[in-house]
Amino acid sequence: MMFRHLFKLIWNKRKQNFLFLSEILVSFMVIFAVFSFLTFYYQNYSKPLGFDYKKVWSISYDNGLLTKNRDSLNIFYDNLYKSLKAMPQIEEVTYTGANFPYSNSTMSTGLNSNGKKFNPVNSYVVGADYQKVWNIKLVAGRWFLPEDAVTKNKNFIINETLKKQMFGEGDAIGKLIGDYDDKEKMKIIGVVQDIKANGDFWPAGNAMFTRLDTGYFRNNSHILVKVRDGADATFESQLYKFMTNTMKNSVEIQHLSEMRDAKNEVTIIPMVIFIIIASFLIINVALGLFGVLWYNINKRRSEIGLRRAIGASGSSVSLQLVMEAMILATMSLMVGCFFAIQFPLLSVFNIPASVYIVAMLLSILFIYLLVFACSLYPGKQAAGIHPAIALHEE
Amino acid sequence: MIRLQNIKKVYRTDTVETLAINGINLDIAKGEFLSIMGPSGCGKSTLLNIMGLLDEPSKGNIQIDSQDISSYSDQKLAKFRNEKLGFIFQSYHLINDLQVLDNVELPLLYRNSSAKERKRLATEALEKVGLSNRLKHFPTQLSGGQRQRVAIARAIVGNPQIILADEPTGNLDSAMGNEIMDILINLNKNEGTTIVMVTHDENMAHKTHRLVRLFDGSQVQ
Repeated sequence: MMFRHLFKLIWNKRKQNFLFLSEILVSFMVIFAVFSFLTFYYQNYSKPLGFDYKKVWSISYDNGLLTKNRDSLNIFYDNLYKSLKAMPQIEEVTYTGANFPYSNSTMSTGLNSNGKKFNPVNSYVVGADYQKVWNIKLVAGRWFLPEDAVTKNKNFIINETLKKQMFGEGDAIGKLIGDYDDKEKMKIIGVVQDIKANGDFWPAGNAMFTRLDTGYFRNNSHILVKVRDGADATFESQLYKFMTNTMKNSVEIQHLSEMRDAKNEVTIIPMVIFIIIASFLIINVALGLFGVLWYNINKRRSEIGLRRAIGASGSSVSLQLVMEAMILATMSLMVGCFFAIQFPLLSVFNIPASVYIVAMLLSILFIYLLVFACSLYPGKQAAGIHPAIALHEE
Repeated sequence: MIRLQNIKKVYRTDTVETLAINGINLDIAKGEFLSIMGPSGCGKSTLLNIMGLLDEPSKGNIQIDSQDISSYSDQKLAKFRNEKLGFIFQSYHLINDLQVLDNVELPLLYRNSSAKERKRLATEALEKVGLSNRLKHFPTQLSGGQRQRVAIARAIVGNPQIILADEPTGNLDSAMGNEIMDILINLNKNEGTTIVMVTHDENMAHKTHRLVRLFDGSQVQ
């Protein structure tokens, strides 16, 4: 019954409460944005990485030999592969396109299946031992074999996300899929676990893997090696010398663990800055709410005195003021939720609806806690107003 | 109905000590209409606040309806005020953001009565003061006399045994003041409500059963 009475009182004073309502609405939208980011990052972070980067080094080179003959070039790279593989500190070796995990390169394409276009799809051009280097887990089918070089349809492998989008829970192995223009059909031979190639906080997205054929060597400039435990700076130096002598040109060796840190920082640093800015805003809003409630109580001393006279105890006056603040917060949150719910409904930024829903719930909880905390002390002060004094102030 | 025994009230600040009420003894019978008069600052309102349990005496004992309320908690005092006492103030103390009916319903909000029951009782109370045609008005849309009648309706809606009125006609012209006084007299006569009224107006005071005069915190008549 008190709730109805308070709602009526608040509704009749909606113009006076406009500032309070606006502050809560703006805070909710900011908090919703922060929690949307955090939920999005957390959901991605909690998913498995899908590969093992810790002992992987990337070697980027620029082949200075300028070998034009294709067969000679193939022999050259085959020998290089064997030389690297023969090194005792190296466990696995693979050639790769530029867009390997944690690199800053991307290559995407589109696929066609049953008249439906899937775009974008991250396209990875990979060597035969790419799976071994990264320890990528196969979910279905198989990895590339040498005979895949001569099949009628180009064989390729997709990740779980793309498989679910294309076939749901159905089987993908052996299915023919159209390329970007739907002119050439390619055959799915395997499904691998998703790999979070852009860092811990970003989704794997759709991905496809095609076999690096010998014609690709002319433009290739990246090798990935998986080293053994004993591989240290001395070995890195030897490897660098070997590669420089082989390529007759500049070479760069990077540890994937460092590349991962750099990639994650690109997400973490702006997020921390955003949270700090939002925190300052929330502190200001909290002080504002506190001030507005305090001011309202001082303006309503006679009403509080009257309520005490006609039967309200100190604690019920305090409770009333906290409830009023919570009702006002609810009114603002209803407007805020109307705007916020548009994000999952319209699939804004192509982010899963669950991210927005969780962020909305967290924001609602946060705002209620904020308003509750800000109204607690003014409510307590109101309870302490002496009715006899308050009723004689006018 | 109300028994005050050797009531003293002292207001203290860091530097000054003011004796507002100095040893007042007063017995008010059930159904009595008593007025309290005296110059400004003589302690009339303080005495009324003490009777209304809005203020505590520094010394002395107060009994209402044979109950010693000195040991009552804040919760119990609030319940007691709600059930036994009705208040009327010089400046009405209506909530301007609530309609007349809602203002009158206020004391019932602190009881376990349904919305329907509250509306019925508030409407009845407003009928008694002749304002049944102003239920949906806001206080700012009413005259001073009408506002005070709303305040009276609010005071009687819970059917209290005692009404404490602090200069109820103080802000009204004589015609409106008489109207309010008539309502209070009828209430006392017909409902048997005990009324204690603080006033500056001799004419109004002489309409009551008994007149108590205060001077410098002491009873002189």
